[in-house]
Amino acid sequence: MMKFIFADLRRFWSGALAVVVLIALSVALSVTVTLQERAVRLGSARAAEKFDLLVGAAGSETQLALSAVFLQPAPLPLMEGAVLGRLANDPRVELAAPVGFGDSAYGFPIVGTTTNLISALSPSLAQGAHFARLGEAVVGSDVALSPGAQIKPMHGTAEAGGETHTAIAYKVTGRMAPTGTAWDRAILVPIRAVWQLHGMHGEEHHDHESGEAQSHGAEPRDHSHEHEHGHLDADAPLDEHFDAQSPGVPAILVKPKTVADAYRLRQEYRTGATLGVFPAEVLTRLYATLGDARSLLLAIALGTQAIVIAAIVLVTIMHVGSRWRQIGALRALGTPVRSIIALVWGELFLLFVAGIASGVALGYAAASAISARLTASTAIRLPVDFAPDDLWLAIGFLAVAAFVSIVPALAALRSSPAAALRA
Amino acid sequence: MLALDVSDLQMHFPGLAAPVLAIERFHLPAGGQLAITGASGSGKSTFVNAITGLENVTQGKISWNGMDITRLSSGRRDAFRARNIGLVMQDFHLFPGLSAFDNVVLPVRLARRLTVEERERALALLSATGINRVGQKIETLSRGEMQRVAVARALLQRPGVIVADEPTASLDRHAGNEVAELLLRLSAEQGTTLVVVTHDAFLAERLGRRICLESGRVDEDSGESAAQ
Repeated sequence: MMKFIFADLRRFWSGALAVVVLIALSVALSVTVTLQERAVRLGSARAAEKFDLLVGAAGSETQLALSAVFLQPAPLPLMEGAVLGRLANDPRVELAAPVGFGDSAYGFPIVGTTTNLISALSPSLAQGAHFARLGEAVVGSDVALSPGAQIKPMHGTAEAGGETHTAIAYKVTGRMAPTGTAWDRAILVPIRAVWQLHGMHGEEHHDHESGEAQSHGAEPRDHSHEHEHGHLDADAPLDEHFDAQSPGVPAILVKPKTVADAYRLRQEYRTGATLGVFPAEVLTRLYATLGDARSLLLAIALGTQAIVIAAIVLVTIMHVGSRWRQIGALRALGTPVRSIIALVWGELFLLFVAGIASGVALGYAAASAISARLTASTAIRLPVDFAPDDLWLAIGFLAVAAFVSIVPALAALRSSPAAALRA
Repeated sequence: MLALDVSDLQMHFPGLAAPVLAIERFHLPAGGQLAITGASGSGKSTFVNAITGLENVTQGKISWNGMDITRLSSGRRDAFRARNIGLVMQDFHLFPGLSAFDNVVLPVRLARRLTVEERERALALLSATGINRVGQKIETLSRGEMQRVAVARALLQRPGVIVADEPTASLDRHAGNEVAELLLRLSAEQGTTLVVVTHDAFLAERLGRRICLESGRVDEDSGESAAQ
């Protein structure tokens, strides 16, 4: 039986190949859409999972979450430094780390923060040690700098025409282990270095600005003229104690001690000048939007599948048409109907299975390639994995294929063998 | 070995008022050798299709050893044909891509598992028909060789009757004579009834009984008296 099928496929190999390719491409399309959507959803959720609660100045929740979790450069308003002092000393808080953005080097964002946050992100460093002086830096695992390297920070980003800070050159002292988050592409420096580099001193700030946000962020033009490039002592020891006199920061990452604390803290910091958000919640809202886009893509993928199924029906009708005489001859020779159905059905089903299987492989490869490219540019690991649901999708495809391929087999048996032989 | 009885057979084609075949009574004893001749359009092929059950019969009876095949469902008729009738067709209907041996055993293999005895019989039949390279792909054989493979295939399941429809018409004289010789020799050896549709006078002459059809009716019957 298989011998007969393979002999037949060898004879019509080009047509068989076309059918396989047709099905493979359409299946690959929907597999890619499904896998990629899941990869983005899981990957970004995992990237956000280290950040329980974010506190920033009143403004856009989405922007706050995107900036702090994915280090997306965008201007963020500043909170007064007192918030950081208050959170740092709150008994319900396990960790409160300031995050100061604005500079970059070699295309990697420089983030001012504390050693506590580094420990939270990467419990043990892959290389070297934490920074201990103002002029030192720890790099993320994807930053191509070794301990000992010098980093000249640039205000803003190179694309935005930022100027290079001349007051300091950070020295790399360590490298974090991979975290699978955007922070793998970050250069982490002491927050006080960022403050001083941008001429921000707690007292002064407090004196004449009384809490109004000083524009400091990724937008260099805002204040490149007004900010005084402060003098900075690179060898000054680290000071990670914050109080009401600390300068302003755009965001604070908070690790509350309990879930109840997390909700209470978010509630407390949602009033007035500050904004408390759960990044995971913000992301969930984004996924809802993403989900709509996915439904659209899947609808398109389904549409192409409908076209492909129509093409398959056409192919099978022609397939059977060209074999009308062959089927007639088989019947004349007394081949049982079930064997003929099995032959015609088996041959088509074999093609469909080959198409579906290579489509799944192709889709997986495409999703992996897309994820790899996205990971290269964002450092967020996007896991391309199959889920139990996909099995049902595959079974659905196979069921449709099985059904579609049995119809022509039945059609072939309607006429008498003599009529089929005359065709 | 099967005997054929036809009674009150009428075959119509849609749109034609006159029947293409009308046979009141016809008997062929078991082991008989029959040649059917006639001009094209005289109903020869229709007669063969009817007695082999390839065409549905709505009027009349066709019995092989008393078994009326017109009453069988098409599936059972296919099964009856597989068991009892060896078919040799003008266009061979061999399957390209398969070897000579695989073509001979294909009808069996598609129905069930091939037995060792059948495998040996297939090889013996191929050797009797003069096909030595049994593993050779069928499309690389000459037309005469192809028809001989078809004869071997027809005989594999020890049918009670061999029905050949213009077995030599698409062959040159030499190859045609070889095939004719083979059909006669093997059917005699195996003791099967033989029905051959042909306009090859050489072949027709050598069969015990000849009927000539005209407009769907038996016009001449060389053995009518002999059979009765």
